[in-house]
Amino acid sequence: MSSSLRVLLLKELKELLRDPKILVGMVLMPIIILPIMGGAITLSQEAVKKELASTSIAVVDRDASIASSSLVGFLRYTNQTVLSIPLGDEKQVISRLLETNATLLLEIPQSYGSNVSKGDIGILNVYAVVKSLGLAESTRGSLIEQVMSAYSYTLSIQKIQELLERSNLTRINPQNVYAPLSVNYHSVVKGKVAEAAPQAIVGLLMSQGIMLPITMIMMLTFSMQIAATSIAVEKEEKTLETLMTLPIGRLTIMIGKLAGSILVAVAGAFAYMVGFGYYMNSAMGFADRGSTSISLSSLGFSLDLGAYLLLGVTIFVTLVSGLALALSVAVFTDSVRSAQSIVGVIYVPVMVPMLILMFADLAMLPLPVQIALYALPYTHSLLASRAIFMGDYITALTSIGYITIFTVIVLYVAARIFTSERVITAKIGPPRLSFLRRYHSPS
Amino acid sequence: MTNAVEADNLVKRFGTLTALNEVSFVVHEGEIYGIIGPNGAGKTTALRIIGTLIRPTSGTVRVFDIDVTKDSSKVRGLLSYLPEEAGAYRNLSGFEYLRFMASFHTKNSKELDRMVEEGAAISGLGNRLEDRVKGYSKGMNRRLLLARALMVRPRLAILDEPTGGLDVVHALHIRQTIRDHVEKLGTTILLSSHNMLEVEYLCSRVALINQGRVVAQGPPNELKDRYRAQNLEEVFVEAMKNV
Repeated sequence: MSSSLRVLLLKELKELLRDPKILVGMVLMPIIILPIMGGAITLSQEAVKKELASTSIAVVDRDASIASSSLVGFLRYTNQTVLSIPLGDEKQVISRLLETNATLLLEIPQSYGSNVSKGDIGILNVYAVVKSLGLAESTRGSLIEQVMSAYSYTLSIQKIQELLERSNLTRINPQNVYAPLSVNYHSVVKGKVAEAAPQAIVGLLMSQGIMLPITMIMMLTFSMQIAATSIAVEKEEKTLETLMTLPIGRLTIMIGKLAGSILVAVAGAFAYMVGFGYYMNSAMGFADRGSTSISLSSLGFSLDLGAYLLLGVTIFVTLVSGLALALSVAVFTDSVRSAQSIVGVIYVPVMVPMLILMFADLAMLPLPVQIALYALPYTHSLLASRAIFMGDYITALTSIGYITIFTVIVLYVAARIFTSERVITAKIGPPRLSFLRRYHSPS
Repeated sequence: MTNAVEADNLVKRFGTLTALNEVSFVVHEGEIYGIIGPNGAGKTTALRIIGTLIRPTSGTVRVFDIDVTKDSSKVRGLLSYLPEEAGAYRNLSGFEYLRFMASFHTKNSKELDRMVEEGAAISGLGNRLEDRVKGYSKGMNRRLLLARALMVRPRLAILDEPTGGLDVVHALHIRQTIRDHVEKLGTTILLSSHNMLEVEYLCSRVALINQGRVVAQGPPNELKDRYRAQNLEEVFVEAMKNV
């Protein structure tokens, strides 16, 4: 690295990282705010768990039969706190329920036992006290549902067993009658067979498929914003003219800005990913995890050194093109505000393909949309990254080639602008609301 | 005598606006040459062309016999340019700013230290150089920028409105610094101003410019004699009558 470039790069880093807007907004905020959000979610989930553990179920047994006693016994067996409530009409029962700390009431109607023993449907009534609109309420509802469903299964097995015994078919397992099929799902991925249902694997890949575009979008938008800001600050603070008369090449100045923006953007994206990862872990912690023990590497999705290098090249050329694009556009503005608004417009072709490809494959889309997306270079950033994960290096290299050509063109244009006088003379101010002035100006 | 700047028939158009119209002048090595005129006369455009920031539509400029359009990078090694509305990096300290700027002019650490020391002395800002630039007043900022321009001992210093918008104390400091620097090191200074009294005090020769044209040029005393005027302001008014 030439000493001028090193000096410029150090200055860029100092300037950018000492700017509270960039340091706080792009580096510190994600690393602090996202974990705080995750922590808040964990805290509320812990509170819900605690609340559920202390849930009591009130029971009104109008049937007082062996079947109803068996049901109450099952509730106790599943570690639920059961409170018996004296009989009365609905109004009286509810008012007694509200006097207790129970939030669920199970009413066993009079005909329950006889219906079940006759082989008819046994009807039960559940009342849930809704105290708030929080997550705990819906989870509490599903808790009684799970217990009832488990009891319903136990009753079914008992019934089947009785019927089998009556028919002298005791060698048959009642569970096999209840669920006569058992399917072992397998998925074939990249020629390898994995013992898992396709939805489990797709779920696993989806998280990668979503994380990859999000990472790319974050890195690109961070770095483009930083690059645009760094050139616009030079114009706004009137430092660019002096810089341009120093005995250094203008391309060196441009490369210094690109390199400084990349470094700060990588730090920003890293901070975001750390924060986001923690947030996701906390947010997903409540969902049932461990239902699948498949790892991406066991399915052949691990990357070797060459694949990592290709991924690095993809990210690098994508970043450089985004930065050069942002610099080329921001050069025409005269303030940070105008630069940031104008760079916001470039986000559209960057984000649209990534958002579409987050949920759909290109082949699923109508042909004109496919052509439009293929034409956009940032589609290829994602296509290349996915192809690298799938081991499809031909597609990856083709896409990398396309982005590289685009990057070279953008860099050439940026270099032309930087070596021309437009870098000094071009001025696009903040958007003017000319139509408003037209209406309000005195005629 | 060597010529520091030779501007020959300079024309600069921005779309339909002609900012400079066949402007010619010569600046000798070691002199302070002033370009004076009202706002929008074309002073900054002329200085920007000489400072390699923009290109002339036609005509030529040579700095120490080097063509500014054909060999701009060589010319940048000879000059220091102080723009009219210049700023320094807000998040760097005064010292960091001087060191950053000096490091483009020398790779030798002793020479670098010498430049920064000289810059600190020229600025006269003392311990305030330890502070970040964002806390500086307009006058302090201008003193820092002038120090930056002169500490590298350029062969040609281009100063666009060096005292523009400053109070008397800062303006006096800057004028004195420019004079001392030229006397001590023989640097050539090309400055612009719309303050004609300031130019009369500083410059050995001047060019009066209006609406992109040079209306008169020469040493201030000679111009005053020529137009039978008391000062350069009266010279300007008289010269305008003859256009």
